[in-house]
Amino acid sequence: MFTNSQLHLAKVFLLIFLRDRQSILFSLFFPMIFMGAFSFSGGEPDPINLGLVNNSNSTASKNFSDLVIADPLFNVTKGEENELKEQLVLGDQTAIIVIPKDFDSLEDSSVLRLLLDASQVRQQAVIKEVLNSSLLSIDQELRDFKPLFTLKIEDVKARPQRYIDFLLPGLLAFMLMNLCLAGSGFNVVEYRRRGILKRLFVTPILPKDFIISIVIARMAIILMQISVVLGLATLLLDINIVGNFLSLYGMIILGTFIFLCIGFWLGSVAKTQEAIRPVVGLITFPQLILSGVFFPISSMPELIQPLAHALPLSVIVTGLRAVANDGASLFALNSTTLGIGCWMILSFILATRYFVWKDVAN
Amino acid sequence: MNIIEVNKLLKTYPKPENKKEFFSAVDGISFNIKEGEIYGILGPNGAGKTSTLEMLEGLNDIDGGSASIDGLDVSTDPFQVKQIIGVQLQSNEYFDRINLSELLILFGKLYSQKTDPLELLGKVDLLDKSKAKPDELSGGQKQRFSIACALVNNPKVLFLDEPTTGLDPQAKRNLWNLVRELNDAGMTIVLTTHNMEEAEYLCNRIAIMDKGKLIAEDTPQKLIMKHASVPPKAPLHGNIEDVFLALTGHELRD
Repeated sequence: MFTNSQLHLAKVFLLIFLRDRQSILFSLFFPMIFMGAFSFSGGEPDPINLGLVNNSNSTASKNFSDLVIADPLFNVTKGEENELKEQLVLGDQTAIIVIPKDFDSLEDSSVLRLLLDASQVRQQAVIKEVLNSSLLSIDQELRDFKPLFTLKIEDVKARPQRYIDFLLPGLLAFMLMNLCLAGSGFNVVEYRRRGILKRLFVTPILPKDFIISIVIARMAIILMQISVVLGLATLLLDINIVGNFLSLYGMIILGTFIFLCIGFWLGSVAKTQEAIRPVVGLITFPQLILSGVFFPISSMPELIQPLAHALPLSVIVTGLRAVANDGASLFALNSTTLGIGCWMILSFILATRYFVWKDVAN
Repeated sequence: MNIIEVNKLLKTYPKPENKKEFFSAVDGISFNIKEGEIYGILGPNGAGKTSTLEMLEGLNDIDGGSASIDGLDVSTDPFQVKQIIGVQLQSNEYFDRINLSELLILFGKLYSQKTDPLELLGKVDLLDKSKAKPDELSGGQKQRFSIACALVNNPKVLFLDEPTTGLDPQAKRNLWNLVRELNDAGMTIVLTTHNMEEAEYLCNRIAIMDKGKLIAEDTPQKLIMKHASVPPKAPLHGNIEDVFLALTGHELRD
């Protein structure tokens, strides 16, 4: 299937990579750092620092404060209004809730003041929500009402799904994209600039031998790196891969093919090392944000969702996630596998059409 | 017997100032090289020396005319031609983190051959550097290593593109000796150079190129008799290079 020279050249590319300890460490470092950070927080947001000023002596106000204090969303500091306001200005408190003197008056509805730091508007909705529900239950208690409804949340998939389980496939796909682009486009431009490609093409190898060797070497490198990250994640973070490994690795191999092709294409579009950095940045950064690596595409503005779904990294992220989280199969025909197929064809056409051999060698 | 035959060879490039117009870097040159010869191509920068070599080596398209090596047409059989030639390029950079032995084995594999790296390194006096990386070599060692790379397929014709540019006198003389040895063993050698002394010392025949054309071709002796028969002034003494070598010795420094 492969010639001796192709395999030997691939072995040399592999050696070049394996002897570059620093780059191996860094390519493992990024996903490990992210996974480590998110596994500690468990994906839950940090508690909001809330100042509490209680101007009332009533039992109701005490019950209300206890409810607020007991809520895991808040980290409550009790105190005087002036003192807490200073802390709010300094950023030590995110918000202050002030309970008025006439809190338990049953005749009039009393007004609670919420003081907020304008820069923390993002949390405003959450704070309001929790305070409202706490107020409602106090209200019911004071008026001696029984609640008509309660909400019980059940996971429809009926299995524990943590943020880290969601994140891992995204990170693997992102890692795969970076390794591919660095290994194809960057290498071609660098080898051309230094005259190494010319030296290779003095010998009777064909350009396709060179490409096949890079693809074999990169495939091996990516499978090794991904296995390391996957192994560590399973061992240390107790990640649960629902689907089978054949589908998972199959998806990784197809993704590698797509991004290597894109890398070769970029390597021929950008002629210099200075040009390829921004060009690769232009491809990777929007995808890091839009492809659902860190949060689902469905949480994005509706206008950009169709575009986001069509990105090559999105189809790989979605595919890996479907296998890892939902036990999907690579061999099922659905929009994701169809997307992968389309990108394989498109990227292959881009790579072969624009990769000009004489330019590459000279 | 001619091992290389070049007939009305043409290479055109777009003009840098106006991409729609073309100029001829190599302008219809013809020459033959005999088996076992050391053939030198001389000329100022931009004369078309490297373009000529690259067309013969199959690295650059031939835009007009023809060239054959050992009976093989370069434009129709570039891969067969590559099997029987060895090439040393002006730039001699290699893969990072791969040592000399490994590189020689790799180049051998690209010709589908088994290589004894130590034998080749011995030939170019780099036996003690087999585990070194190319970027740890001095200029002269790099040039000798790139000749070793060009020898992995035991070529019939060896192309050297400015092999001594940038070398100190010791390294230069050492390389000349190496070229002589290879030629004595029967290898045909084609080299380009800026160094007139090198051309005179090494080459059986010299072609002088200027502006893409071949303006003179003969043995060094005959060229001298024809174009510079009266010496400007008989030298009373050696030159500064002789002083330098007398003081520092002929021993290699790298």
